[in-house]
Amino acid sequence: MLTVLSHSKFQGQMLLSFQNVSLSYEPKLNILDNITFSIAENGFYFLTGTSGAGKSSLLRLIYQSERPSSGQIILFGESLTNDGHKKQAEMRRKIGIVFQDFRLIPHLTAWENAALPLRLTDAKEDYIKRHTQELLEWVGIGHRMYATPQELSGGEQQRVAIARAVVTKPRLLLADEPTGNVDEDTALKLLHLFDELNKLGTAVILATHQSHLVDKFHKPALRLVKGRLQKSGN
Amino acid sequence: MSLPRHLFTPAFRVQHLGRSFAAIVGIMVFIASFATAAETVLLTASYLWGQTMETRLTVEIPAVGDEASMPQAERVRQAVSVLRALPDVGMVSPLSDSEVERLLGPWFNKPELLRALPLPTLIDVDRKPGAELSAQKIQAALKNVVSDAKVNDHGAWTRDVWRLVRGLTLLGGLTIALTALTLVIAVSLICRAVIAAEHETISLLHLIGAENKDIARHFQSQASRIAARAAAIGFLFALFLTLGLFFSTRDIMNLSSLEWIHWVSVGIVSLLVPFCATAIATVTARISVMRLIETFP
Repeated sequence: MLTVLSHSKFQGQMLLSFQNVSLSYEPKLNILDNITFSIAENGFYFLTGTSGAGKSSLLRLIYQSERPSSGQIILFGESLTNDGHKKQAEMRRKIGIVFQDFRLIPHLTAWENAALPLRLTDAKEDYIKRHTQELLEWVGIGHRMYATPQELSGGEQQRVAIARAVVTKPRLLLADEPTGNVDEDTALKLLHLFDELNKLGTAVILATHQSHLVDKFHKPALRLVKGRLQKSGN
Repeated sequence: MSLPRHLFTPAFRVQHLGRSFAAIVGIMVFIASFATAAETVLLTASYLWGQTMETRLTVEIPAVGDEASMPQAERVRQAVSVLRALPDVGMVSPLSDSEVERLLGPWFNKPELLRALPLPTLIDVDRKPGAELSAQKIQAALKNVVSDAKVNDHGAWTRDVWRLVRGLTLLGGLTIALTALTLVIAVSLICRAVIAAEHETISLLHLIGAENKDIARHFQSQASRIAARAAAIGFLFALFLTLGLFFSTRDIMNLSSLEWIHWVSVGIVSLLVPFCATAIATVTARISVMRLIETFP
């Protein structure tokens, strides 16, 4: 069960910790306001809230696409400060991200897109081929491996994006509205996929505004309302 | 680590930036290779030619009207004896009549006219290396035997020619340097366009954990492949033009002093151009990309 925890008490065991984190673009435009929470290793967490509540911004802070205006974020036991590009890249390699708009490279095949993060590691070509193929079969699009994103449906593209996010076996998976562009059945299948991934040892933070889907899975939830964390648990 | 070879294909191929990149490298290599080959040939030929001419003087024994009092052959023999007796003289070699006719031939339309004229006898004299033997000294030595002999020191005017050659070489060097600079500027501008076109892909690569050096290395290898092909084509065109030019002007430009080893040297020096151009294009691409993507969020 998720608890909104004080950082000082649980810092050692936590995968991710936000301490009084705020994000504002202008003095009066607060996107996130004084957010404090910690999440444990191997956990599965929903990040809920209406559109514009700050879910994507919170995820962007985790994968360091944005910097907090104030407060401290601790990820994998290290504070996310402005440590430079090399350190940032190193942290990002431990995170898998499923973007709301998939962000697949249009001229690469599903297989090439999914294998991309592995190519930033020292993995051998044989392993890349075999592992990516297995993963695409696991997400259910093994038969469409050599199709480009334009040739795939929204649900299929989403599966490729998921395969790409988990191909390096990241410690943390961030998914931003992964079910936003698919039908109910596909959405449930995708959520089961995330659940299976979590059981394999990857912590998952899944941002969604579809509260009915959250209710079907008995997982803890962080609820954002106008940039403020309202409650924890489910 | 190996990103897909066609990762930046849309910018390089679809938007024709690869073609622009290749065209610029090819044209620059063509200009630089041609300039290098011409410059090397000019330098080598003038050096070899200067080596011979700088130490050489030519003594002209005018033809006498009255062969009975002092035959021309005797005047030449005496002049040769005096010249050979001088301590600073290395080689004395009178030119045969046929050689003199060959030298003067281009100035006369009718060969019979040339044969009818009283031609002077020319004697080539080589100074010993490092010797300070002036035309005046030779003139003075010959005064008693052939008082009307004229001495022409080639060293004086070959030094002027050598200055001209050095000026041309400098101009050639400047052309090559400007070509290299243009290549650097053009490649960095094309890289800027490619990076702008691939902004989305690079942002994604950053988000999945790619370091700037990974992206730059990949970009560099793609740029390097294009540059190498373009440089080879540019070099081949320059080679054909150079050979064609030398062949068509072989009667005007006397390059007979160049031996095969000199031609091989010209080839090797010219061959450095496409390699250097590829290296310059590759390094410029890497540095440009590194600088540009460092500004990415």
